[in-house]
Amino acid sequence: MAAQFEIRCTHPDAKYARQAADYAFRVADQLEQKLSRFIENSDISRINHLSAGEHAIVSYETMQCLRLARFMHAETGGAFDVATGKGLESLDLVPGEFLVCAHANGVHLDMGAIGKGYAVDRMAEVLEDWEVEQALISAGYSSVLSLEPPSGSEDWPLTISMPGKGANATLANVAGRQRALGASGIRKPDHILDPRTGKPVRLRQAAWVSAPRRVLADIGRPAEVGSSPAAVADALSTAFMIVPPVEIKKYCCRHPGLEAWILQPHLIHFVNR
Amino acid sequence: MPTKTIDRRDFIKTTAAAGLALGAGSRDAGARASNELRVALIGAGNQGLVLVESCQKIPNIRITALCDIWAEYQQKYVSNRLSTYGHTHNTYIDYEEMLDNEKDRLDAVIVATPDFWHAAHAIACLKAGLHVYCEKEMATNPEDARRIVRAARESGKLLQVGHQRRSNPRYLFCYQKLLREAMLLGRITTANGQWNRSRQDLRTMPARYAMSPETLEKYGYRSMQQFLNWRWYRGLGGGPIVDLGSHQIDIFNWFVGARPSSIVASGGTDYYNRETHEWYDNVMALFEYPTPGGTVRAFYQTLTTNNFGGYYEVFLGDQGSLEISESGARAKVYRDIANAPDWGSWVKQGLLLAPEEEPEPQPQAQLDVRESVAPPSYALPIQLLKPYHQPHLENFFDAIRGKAKLTCPGEVGFETAVTVLKVNEAVEANRPVLFKPQDFEL
Repeated sequence: MAAQFEIRCTHPDAKYARQAADYAFRVADQLEQKLSRFIENSDISRINHLSAGEHAIVSYETMQCLRLARFMHAETGGAFDVATGKGLESLDLVPGEFLVCAHANGVHLDMGAIGKGYAVDRMAEVLEDWEVEQALISAGYSSVLSLEPPSGSEDWPLTISMPGKGANATLANVAGRQRALGASGIRKPDHILDPRTGKPVRLRQAAWVSAPRRVLADIGRPAEVGSSPAAVADALSTAFMIVPPVEIKKYCCRHPGLEAWILQPHLIHFVNR
Repeated sequence: MPTKTIDRRDFIKTTAAAGLALGAGSRDAGARASNELRVALIGAGNQGLVLVESCQKIPNIRITALCDIWAEYQQKYVSNRLSTYGHTHNTYIDYEEMLDNEKDRLDAVIVATPDFWHAAHAIACLKAGLHVYCEKEMATNPEDARRIVRAARESGKLLQVGHQRRSNPRYLFCYQKLLREAMLLGRITTANGQWNRSRQDLRTMPARYAMSPETLEKYGYRSMQQFLNWRWYRGLGGGPIVDLGSHQIDIFNWFVGARPSSIVASGGTDYYNRETHEWYDNVMALFEYPTPGGTVRAFYQTLTTNNFGGYYEVFLGDQGSLEISESGARAKVYRDIANAPDWGSWVKQGLLLAPEEEPEPQPQAQLDVRESVAPPSYALPIQLLKPYHQPHLENFFDAIRGKAKLTCPGEVGFETAVTVLKVNEAVEANRPVLFKPQDFEL
């Protein structure tokens, strides 16, 4: 986590919109307190301190997020792993009791690659509840969810670009309207590990995933944790840093509307409209 | 809730085989474990929800009644959350109706309503024979706080005041081990602390959730706006010095081990609108504490327009300094190199973590010259692996079971309330204000 959240929105009453955004930011702060591994008493830190045979009681949101993370782990054949190979399999989740039980020592969860998207989805719920529906929400520019566009616009214009090359290096334009866009990359060196080898990802520079909210929500539906499209896009973009192109192609074919881009070093675009 | 991860019965089987005792096993409405406590919550706002989230993590606590006047929004939200957590409960708008119906089935009540309601709620619960966890500030004036403590004494029931740092293992460790036993700081001469927050708009909510004017008036609010922002209004709350400062000024009193004798304070509503921000948006206060070892002065600041530095408390002695905060990222002890003895023995005894090693020079050299090395700072060998309020609630529940002594009983909360409420008085007076012995008398 530890990301900078941003909301752009249009509304006839700017003060009201600002208050709605404040409320959404408070929701993000509350999630940060539960999901950040950098906060000593977060649910995730408490799980990371478990020894074999111990358990932790976690909050509703943490359990939802863990269930979605586990589902996306299976969905991506292990390529997405909030434990980067260190212990997700050794945790038992008991959703009705909000229990997380460890069967091995040394579990190390980092919810960064799904928690930001999960927070963005919850922020969207706040804005929609407040009827601030023309909005664009971002967590660290890597988990982005567009709701309705500003009046008179078709969409929120978004781009994906060559990492580190500034505005001249646009790789693709994405029309943001009821759509999530997730990005992963290795500008911060060696922070994405292949959970199957434990080694840092270096071949692929970046990956993006974009799809309408409903397509992503459908992908996550079997996790039975409600609709979290930005979280699903977040997890898929991380998985697509290591999934072979042929598998990404197949995955996009199975999910019409889902688009992906990978950069290794040339851009490859996957889409099945 | 359906699960794809593990079958509940399989789980019980495997954990039973592993000899794991589960606290959260039985929550069905009928059965009652021998050490189970049944608790009601009055006040389902932000703080009420925080306390619910902590209670959820404590074994054998069941929240069986919930009371909040805002039925359409926050009562509903917290009620849903309680149901999700398996706490079967009844909901109420009126606390007296709740007590009439529920008191015989309850052990304790958590009061997390706006400050000006604490006295009525806490006293009614105590008179109904229930133990009370009352959020700070106990009241908006010392007399109401005094009445709560007297009601607790008359009822013989426990009263815990919500200064949760009093049960935080890091604060307890610093007080007991570092300050009292090791006397690591030497003679403490000074303390300072702050809680600075960024500028914020007044809170609002979508109009469709508003309470009726009749409900608002019945419970003491002029408008929805005033209800949502009660902390800023005189007679309802006490402003930032009370909301934020109270927690930390409580630590001044505790760690210094004395009551203050006087306050000089300055503050005002200098940034926001005085119509909506009746209490001061910034306050700076200077306390004088007479102690057997000499005078201790303590400075406290709260700002609501800039969060620079966040929140922390610092205690300064002639041999070292302690920096502490509820947030765990900030807990260190600094040794005064010129005046303190070597602290190696405290490191060996496990009281402090070793500071970063100073570099040993090469054999042929007197010094290895390099980027400047910071003076020695010692981290603490203690972590808080629970939500901030959980230990304080656990202390309350353990005290009900006769297994612990309250860390912040009414008498302590009262002294802090007297100290903190005096700051607003000192700002108003614009001159030094002395505490009289009778201020602290119950």
